[in-house]
Amino acid sequence: MFDILRELIFTSGFVSLSGGNIIMWMISFVLLYLAIKKQYEPLLLLPIAFGILVVNLPLTFLMDPEHGLIWFFYHYGIELDIIPPLIFLGLGAMIDFGPLIANPKTLLLGAGAQAGLYVTFFAAVLFGFDLQEAGSIAIIGGADGPTTIYLTSKLAPHLLGATAVSAYAYMALVPIIQPPMMKLLTTDAERKIVMTKLRPVSKLQKICFPIVTAMTIMLVVPPAAPLISMLMLGNLFKESGVVERLTNAASNELMNVVTIFLGLSIGATMTAATFLSPKVLFIFFLGLFAFAISTGAGLLMAKFMNLFLKDKINPLIGAAGVSAVPMAARCVHKVGSEANRRNYLLMYAMGPNVAGVIGTVVAAAILLKNLG
Amino acid sequence: MMETDWSKVLEVFGSGIIGVFLVMFLLQILTQLSTRIIDFVENKNKDKTLVSVPQEAVAKEKA
Repeated sequence: MFDILRELIFTSGFVSLSGGNIIMWMISFVLLYLAIKKQYEPLLLLPIAFGILVVNLPLTFLMDPEHGLIWFFYHYGIELDIIPPLIFLGLGAMIDFGPLIANPKTLLLGAGAQAGLYVTFFAAVLFGFDLQEAGSIAIIGGADGPTTIYLTSKLAPHLLGATAVSAYAYMALVPIIQPPMMKLLTTDAERKIVMTKLRPVSKLQKICFPIVTAMTIMLVVPPAAPLISMLMLGNLFKESGVVERLTNAASNELMNVVTIFLGLSIGATMTAATFLSPKVLFIFFLGLFAFAISTGAGLLMAKFMNLFLKDKINPLIGAAGVSAVPMAARCVHKVGSEANRRNYLLMYAMGPNVAGVIGTVVAAAILLKNLG
Repeated sequence: MMETDWSKVLEVFGSGIIGVFLVMFLLQILTQLSTRIIDFVENKNKDKTLVSVPQEAVAKEKA
């Protein structure tokens, strides 16, 4: 009886428990709290937090190569680049590119915001990260979770947990991070600018846009193909109006299923050994820096464009050039309506916001081309 | 610690910024072009419909 009890204790996880495991549990509990109580990106943070918890329970071997359950999700889903493009398929089926087609100039705002990403790349190298790691950290500034995961899994897989959590955390914190930057870089008069009405966009134009975009981007930057092809296919499903079942499947069932596997796999990469290092703190700091600089670069780009435009744009919409759809656009609308109650910027900001998604994919593809 | 290849850093930095702008600018031009062509075709079709409707009405009246 005593032997059985002793064996039970010595084969349990308790004997292999380390201080690092307990710290990771604490991190998991904080993320669970943020997801459940504060509802910060709960769809992703909840499975990530649970993934962290279970992978830091000793002797479970969930991430053991060739054996662990979550390792299979991670290997087939992320290492083989299946999940991020599938998330993009669902995203495409949900996005309306209408405001962007009505005002294609906003594509440049999506490009402007990516400048912050390259500034961060430079900063990360100065902090001592190698080029691949710096590229993975810089992409956080694009505020696009699937793109961050896609690029990091290719360039610096050991940083996957930190960059993914950082990207999703800052996306959830858009309403806190962006308004101070907006107010700092724009004058009251600029924030009050009322923009001219958007022109109507026909169904045919909406159908042609994903085809033209997919062809253009894949021809110019082929490494963008996995993400951009799925994004535009999803959008073509939606705009064609003839495959409602596929649109619903891509934007609901498929998206939900892959989100579970994505979150769990990302969380499971965050073991005490890989996550508890000073580097991770730097990644969170640089991620915040990247996001703030990208917001600023978008705002400055809008101000620069105003030097040449007859119909001025409200520079606030430049801040939506980071992805974070639709949180960044909502934030722009809120700050704009605080300056001028009659200003309704949401639709105008959706243009650069969806341009930001395309811009981040292009930026990631160029980084991959140069560093991969 | 590995020594940083600063020429590579500058290359990634420069080509990245310029590359993103060029791609997005190209996309802007093509989007504008395609929407204008579609607008032109759709307006032409609309005009045709407007012209053909009264003619049909006249023919009906004559009959």
